[in-house]
Amino acid sequence: MVGGLDFSVVRENLPYFFLGRYPKGPLGGVALTLYLAVVSLVLSFLGGLILGLLSVSRNRLIKWGSTAVIQTIRGMPLLMVIFWMFFLLPAMLGSGMSADWTIITALTLFTSSYMSEIVRAGILGIPKGQMEAAVSTGLSHKQAMTYVILPQALRNMIPSFVNQFVSMIKDTSLAFIVGVSELTHIATQMNNRTMLYPTEIFLFIAVIYFIMCFAFTELSRWLERRSAWRKSI
Amino acid sequence: MNYRFDWAIVTSGKYFDWLVSGLYVTIKLSVVSIALSFLVGLVIAMMRMSHVRPVRWFAHGYLEFFRNTPLLVQIFFWYFGSYKILPRVVNDWMVRQDFEFTAAVIALTIYTSAFIAEDIRSGVRSIPKEQMEAARSSGFSYVRSMRYIILPQAVRLTIPPLINQFLNLMKNSSLAMTIGVAELMYQARQVESYTFKGFEAFTAATVVYLGLSFLITGLMTLYDKMVLQPIKGH
Amino acid sequence: MARKIGLLVMALAMVGAMCGAALAGDTLAEVKKKGVLVAGVKDSLPPFGSVDPKTKEFVGYDIDFVKYIAKKLGVKVEYKPVTSANRMPMLMEGRVDILAATMTKTPERAKQIDFSYTYFLTGQKFLTKKGTVHSLKDLQGKKIGTAKGSTSEQNVKKAVPSATVLSFDDYPQGVLALQQGKVIAVTTDESILAGQLGKLQKNPATKGKFEIPDIQISSEPYGLGMRKGDTNLEKFVDATLLEMEKNGEAKKIFERWFGPNTDSPIKRGKFKITADRMGLE
Repeated sequence: MVGGLDFSVVRENLPYFFLGRYPKGPLGGVALTLYLAVVSLVLSFLGGLILGLLSVSRNRLIKWGSTAVIQTIRGMPLLMVIFWMFFLLPAMLGSGMSADWTIITALTLFTSSYMSEIVRAGILGIPKGQMEAAVSTGLSHKQAMTYVILPQALRNMIPSFVNQFVSMIKDTSLAFIVGVSELTHIATQMNNRTMLYPTEIFLFIAVIYFIMCFAFTELSRWLERRSAWRKSI
Repeated sequence: MNYRFDWAIVTSGKYFDWLVSGLYVTIKLSVVSIALSFLVGLVIAMMRMSHVRPVRWFAHGYLEFFRNTPLLVQIFFWYFGSYKILPRVVNDWMVRQDFEFTAAVIALTIYTSAFIAEDIRSGVRSIPKEQMEAARSSGFSYVRSMRYIILPQAVRLTIPPLINQFLNLMKNSSLAMTIGVAELMYQARQVESYTFKGFEAFTAATVVYLGLSFLITGLMTLYDKMVLQPIKGH
Repeated sequence: MARKIGLLVMALAMVGAMCGAALAGDTLAEVKKKGVLVAGVKDSLPPFGSVDPKTKEFVGYDIDFVKYIAKKLGVKVEYKPVTSANRMPMLMEGRVDILAATMTKTPERAKQIDFSYTYFLTGQKFLTKKGTVHSLKDLQGKKIGTAKGSTSEQNVKKAVPSATVLSFDDYPQGVLALQQGKVIAVTTDESILAGQLGKLQKNPATKGKFEIPDIQISSEPYGLGMRKGDTNLEKFVDATLLEMEKNGEAKKIFERWFGPNTDSPIKRGKFKITADRMGLE
């Protein structure tokens, strides 16, 4: 059992790792991992924007309420959020929601609360004078926010968003616990079946995850450098 | 329409004891791992700033690889896969220990240390270069200037991100349930599968996690008020 | 406001939880309308349920029963992988219509869901390294692996109270831990252990090193799980099971997965599918 590593189990099942049971069954593996990450990220962007704007609202009730929601979700492990969604969503919405979408909802809720902090910091990072100046030129508070503050804030936030995407790819691995056949689930399934190659299988998927995440980490760094350069001129 | 709430099962008796023992394991796992993560993170940060290239490259590779791989996969790797790459002696020793706990500590430590190392590095970078130059010119060696001049200041600045990493680590420790470590989340699920009272079990666990999170956040605020503000004030 | 939102969330959650219990409708009619029977099955637990690496189709003893039932209904089957820990919630929340996932009938479970007649009968034993365990005494104070939320977990805690029971997400992970010496035994139903032993025997590295000693700690009747009060589907499934016994299909399926030439040979003995209430009293 001890000795060199034998990656033939990975080679023989390569399509299974990347696509799952597709085209015989639903899409799985790496493809599903990316799908879950991309869809959840887009939704989290919207969710984060909404929560972030609410948390800097001038209405105290809205501000405190949204902050309470954000802090509660941030105080929980993602796994807990996932269990809650699996437990509550079907009870509230009936059985119509698939496991994939339940995971997407959990990831979105979780990441939105983190993104909202990025949005809030981005907005608060724009000098106050700008808002005052915009309002004094006759724009309403809402208009000033939409046309003056947000566009600048969003641009500054881009690297952080890309970073969140990296976390999101890593977080999708938790979907395995509820039986969604993304990459980690496929790996444990393969591990359960063969039982002799855990080292090879988990090393292999670690490298796959690394490649996906590292590419986006580098992108975020490049964006950061670019925006720093832009600011310096 | 016949779901009957039964809060008593999570506030007293056998299942309450399970949850309490889970809380204990969660705290133990988090505290042991954060202590080790700090030490490993410190070493990696030093290596990352080393003048010897291979050392620097190793540290860089370590940081990038472990930060960009899901913790869950790392946990599985150490628990199921490490026996093929670790020397027999080490593996036999680990098996004689509480292997699940040990594997979880290793995975959490390696993952978290990669983040802490970056925090320490940016802490060191924020200390003005002149300080190092001044220390060197007054006869301190590189290591001694690091040890006595730069690091003490850097560590003080690194404490807030460190507390933040502790918060993450505490939440991340829930993943240890997947390899059979009986921490809080594991126990909550056990209560659910024995009693079918998932709502009560999850609510109890959620309240405990939130309590821990707010406690740690409070610690951070306190540190900021008591230690950092006075320094910055000067 | 924070408190109000908190209250609102709680209220929503409670309403939700209550509605959840009221989900069961007429699944049989719905399945016929949809043309699909959604079955919760194990996806890496041969010989009961696993994905064939070549064809990528689900295969196994449980799968064959589901297939027969679906064929009789004239609908297609959609398989959803479940684990021992999440299968009951999956059923109760309506994510699957029926469970065919190596599930032992127990009175506690029968309070939450309904069971079909027993379609498989086995007993709980141990899988160990050869020669290490001869009686329950050898297990005292040791680590034993099993799966979360299973009856095996509860039985072994009663049978060997001094042992540390390690619960994994599913059995194969326990077997892996056994191979690596992290537990002294893996305990669950003999039929599942036989499948795992078969896998170990096929591999030159582990061949002849493991065994299932003759120590039985319980009797385990398997039933197909359906939502509480789902009477039409239950009647249909029970009738189909009896028919399968009568026309020899049940025996054929058993021989296919547990016969002498399979990887997990066990004996069917006197077991026959009958209108039984085993495990429920």
